[in-house]
Order: sequence, then structure tokens, then C-alpha cells
Amino acid sequence: MTALPTLPTRPVVSEAPAGYAWWRFGRYSILVHRRAWSSGFLLIAAMIIVSGISLASGAAGLSPWTALAAAIGQGEPMHVFLVQELRLQRLIAGLLTGAALGVAGCLLQTLARNRLATPGIIGIDDGATAFAVASIVAIPTTLAPSALALTGAATAAGLAFGLSGGAGARGYRFIVVGIAVGALFGALTNLMLARTDMDSANQAYPWTVGSLNARPAQAVWLLGIGLLAGLPVAKYLGRALTLMRFSDSVATGLGVPLKRMRVMTLLLTVFLTALAVAVVGPVGLIALAAPEVARYLVGHQGVPVFNAALAGATLMSLADWVGRTLMAPIEIPVGVIMAVIGGPYLLWILLRPSARRAP
Amino acid sequence: MSLLSSLLTNRPDHEVSLAAQSLSLGYPAVSIIENLSLHIPPGKVTAIVGPNGCGKSTLLAGLSRLHKPSQGTVVLNGKDINRLPSRQVARELALLPQEASAPEGLTVAELIQFGRQPHQGILRQWSEGDQAIVEAALAVADLTGLADRPLESMSGGQRQRAWIAMAIAQQTPLLLLDEPTSALDLGHQIEVFELIRQLAAVGKTVVMVVHDLSSACRYADHLVAMQAGRIVAEGAPSRIVTPALVEQLYGVKCILLEDPHSGTPIIAGVTRLG
Repeated sequence: MTALPTLPTRPVVSEAPAGYAWWRFGRYSILVHRRAWSSGFLLIAAMIIVSGISLASGAAGLSPWTALAAAIGQGEPMHVFLVQELRLQRLIAGLLTGAALGVAGCLLQTLARNRLATPGIIGIDDGATAFAVASIVAIPTTLAPSALALTGAATAAGLAFGLSGGAGARGYRFIVVGIAVGALFGALTNLMLARTDMDSANQAYPWTVGSLNARPAQAVWLLGIGLLAGLPVAKYLGRALTLMRFSDSVATGLGVPLKRMRVMTLLLTVFLTALAVAVVGPVGLIALAAPEVARYLVGHQGVPVFNAALAGATLMSLADWVGRTLMAPIEIPVGVIMAVIGGPYLLWILLRPSARRAP
Repeated sequence: MSLLSSLLTNRPDHEVSLAAQSLSLGYPAVSIIENLSLHIPPGKVTAIVGPNGCGKSTLLAGLSRLHKPSQGTVVLNGKDINRLPSRQVARELALLPQEASAPEGLTVAELIQFGRQPHQGILRQWSEGDQAIVEAALAVADLTGLADRPLESMSGGQRQRAWIAMAIAQQTPLLLLDEPTSALDLGHQIEVFELIRQLAAVGKTVVMVVHDLSSACRYADHLVAMQAGRIVAEGAPSRIVTPALVEQLYGVKCILLEDPHSGTPIIAGVTRLG
């Protein structure tokens, strides 16, 4: 038997793993992935620029700086009124929905170990939409769209997970079942729209394409609160999800309670997706694109929850701005813009050489 | 004890115990193991051997809480392993599963760092101890120079050593390895087995599923021979391995020689029965 190799008597221990910054306070320590932070700052900068441009553009043109200043109450009262009362709410709705969908996509992709497994593709968006549309055209109800969207999203996710084999389900099978569930709910939405009168159908239309024009104020508030509560939970789950990118037996060996983590991840995905869909309708491609942008920037083995949120917020408000200005004064719904950008993007993901890399 | 060996075990004084009590394992339609009881001797290398399909990997999966028992219990330090929090078990028992797979692009050092997860928390993400044990695991597995290489660029033997190093970094008194040398050539097999002996020498308890009976005899202190979901013989290799046992397990005739180097049994002159 060979002898144990010897280490230096004083091991070199004042180092963090490569690529990390390391902060210590007594027994506590925090590791910070440098590139995750620099990407985060980059995305925040992009988000501020997009916000400025978005607030500045409209019937009365402002400069982005004037618009940003007006948003925080500085500058001419007229500008402040214009920005705060008319434009800011729409921007906030866009940022919040984008962030929620970005996180939801990031969580579900990692859970299913497949970058195609986003809430939109596996039918959660369609479920939420069908129930929200039902609240307008089919069932006369005073229930908030958020509550109904949540019910619809939970129903769709429950069906997709249940039919594909429970909380242990992974990847491909889950996606195929989810697509079928989504198609069913999509057909249901169309059926309801076809059978209803013109006025109700017009009222429900923004729900079916995804638009920030018809955002219910109450749903935006609920989304804001939900995101505030959901982001820390997502960050906490991110640690376990990082390990769940290994095979199940390895993750279990490292102490991850797989079943509980999967159920919690799915619940949070449904929660965030439903709250966002209740505001903007089905803009599912954000959930596909945002985590991809985050992962590309971070280039790291973790699960980039916060960066996916920032990327989602930026993309959503950018797409909304493009939709508003491209053919002004006619407004193209943000869902349509995302589909136009997202379709080719999806093809690129599927066709590029490293497509086999699981998230 | 050397610095390295003190790093390898986190509590050298801590007596660890793992046992199966009337354990039954299987799937809804098929029972694989029925009413099996086994006590793992602490501080030793135990090898589970037997023909294909005898249930040795299933038993290891049961012992490591990957496979939930249909009846009976697996007892870790006096408690039902399936009722303990998974993270707590991960601080006592490290695992090398057969179908270990990692996300693409992961480097050796990153893989081994994941072994520290059971000891870390949201506010305790990295300590000097973590760094030291990762370095020790790299050194023991002879991977120090390869720390920044992506896993998929390495040879089978190196990759297997990296996975074992991750289990070592978990700093558990118990190590469960499912066919640690499968798909390795002779030289790499010896490397891995000698690494396992070193770990036993610093006080770790190792349980491994091994395909090759001669290797099991040479590197294990304790042999558990299984057939059709039952234990047919158990004890020190030189005591229990006989031509009759080999015939019972594998359905072959053989003669046993003594390894002039280690004094352990070697199976030779194997012929099929009848």
C-alpha cells in the first residue's frame, strides 16, 4: 500500500474557490460569484436605460434623463404628472411581470433539466389565461383575475405533473404532457371567445395575446407582493436546484430532499407565473429567453435566479417599448413582439451545437 | 495522526454504525431483497459480491436511503435512516452511485467543492476548513494538478477518482461505493482500490459493491456474498471463500490459489458446470 501523500504543514487556506469573492464575519461566511455580480450590475444598468427610454417615449416626447428624473418626482410638474400617472405604472407592470416570468422559467427549466420546460410551453400560461378569460366571458364573477389565473395555472401544472408521473417526473415526458395540457386550455379559451358576444370578446382579447395595455391595478399590486415574497424563496431553492442538476442519486447523496424541493419549486413556479399572467397575459417566451440570457452572461454552474429576474424585467419592458413605438400610434401587444423575437430565438436554441447542454 | 488523515475524518472518535434490520426492498411488482439483516463492521472495508441480479446494488441503494424499503429499516447510528433529515445523513454517509452524472463543463475542483454542501448553509457558504478538505481530497485522489480540468475531458479512471474525491470531501465516517472500479482497466482499478484502503486506514468505514471476486478478496476485510436477494455467506474473505461458495454464487467450478503477495484467495481454472 502506498503511503498517504503529505500536505504542507500549514495548508494554504486563505483562498476562496476560483472565480469567487469571499466575505467572512466570525463563523459566518458568504461566497459571491464575481461574474454573477458583474452580470447583475450590467443587467441593472440595461434595465435603467430601457426604463428611461420607455418612460421618455410616447405622444409627448421627453429625454430619457428628464423622464427618469420625473419618475422620482424631480423636474417640471407637468412632466412628473405625465410620467408618474401615465407611464410609470405601465413600466412597473412590465418590469414585474418580466421578472416573475424570468424566475419561473429559470426554476422550471432547472427542475425538468430541460431548457424547453418553461411555464409557457408546458401549459401553465394557457391554464391561467383560460381561467382569466372565463372570468370575463363565461362566468360572471367579481373574483379578481389573479385568483382565477392562479387557479388555472395550478390546474394546468397539476395536470401536467400528475399525468407525467408525479413529482419524480423529469424532462421530456413532462414537456410532451404539458404541451398537450396547454393545447387543451388554449382550445378552451378559443371556444369561450367564439361563443361569446363581441364586447366580451374584445374585452378578453388582450388576455389571449399578452399585453400591458389592459393591466388590472390590483393584479399588479398582488404581483409586486408575490415577487417580494417569492424571490428569496427562489434564491433559497436555487442552492438545492444547483445540486439537482446532477443525477438524482448524487443529489440525494449530498443531502437534497428531492421530493420536497421539487414540489416547492413547482409551487413557486405556478405562483409566480399565475400572478404575472394575471397582469400581462401569456408572454411565455420571456420565461424561455430571460434565463438563457442570464446563463449566458453568468457562464456558471449555478442557477441564476436574480439575474434571470433582471433579464426578464429588461426584456419585457424592452419588448413593450418596441411594441408601442414601432408602428405608433398603433400599439402592437408585447406578446406579439416577444413571439416575433422569440420564435427565431427558440430556433437558435434548438439548432446551435451546444443545444444538448441541460440547464 | 497526520494532518491529512485528521482532515479526512471529521470525528475520528465517533463510532458510526450502519445496519439493515429485516430489510425488504423492491418495486411494486417485484421483490428484490426480502427480510435481510446485516451489520456493517465499523472501520473496515466491506465488499458485497454476487452474480448479476442478486440484489447487491439494490442493497447498497437501500443502505444509502436511495431506495425506500417496503419493509424493515436501515438503521444509521441507532436511528431509521429514512426518518433522518437528508442533510444530516449526508454528513454521516457519502455515496458514489453507479449512474453518477454531473452537469457539463464542471471542473474537478468544482465537483469536489459540491461535496462540502452538507456542511454549508446560506450564511456559512465557505470556510477555511472547506478549503483545506478540498485540497486534501484532491491530494489523496492524486488530482491536484488536474483541479481545473473539466470532468468530461478526463479518462475514466481520473473521473472515477474525482467522484470518490467528492465523497471524501463530504468528510463522512461512512463511504458507500457502487462498483467503484467498473469500466476501469487493471492499473486504474488498483489505484482506486488502494485509495479505498488508505481511507480505511484512517478510520473510515467503507461498503462497496464489487464485481470481481478476486479483487474483493484482496481489498476487503469483510465479504458479504449474496444470491437471489439473500446473504449466503459473510465474513473474512480467506475464511468464507471456498470452491463450493464460488459454485453456489456463479455456477462455475474453480480452484482457489493463494496470492503470494497478499495471502488472499485467487480464483483460477474456472470452468462451466456440467
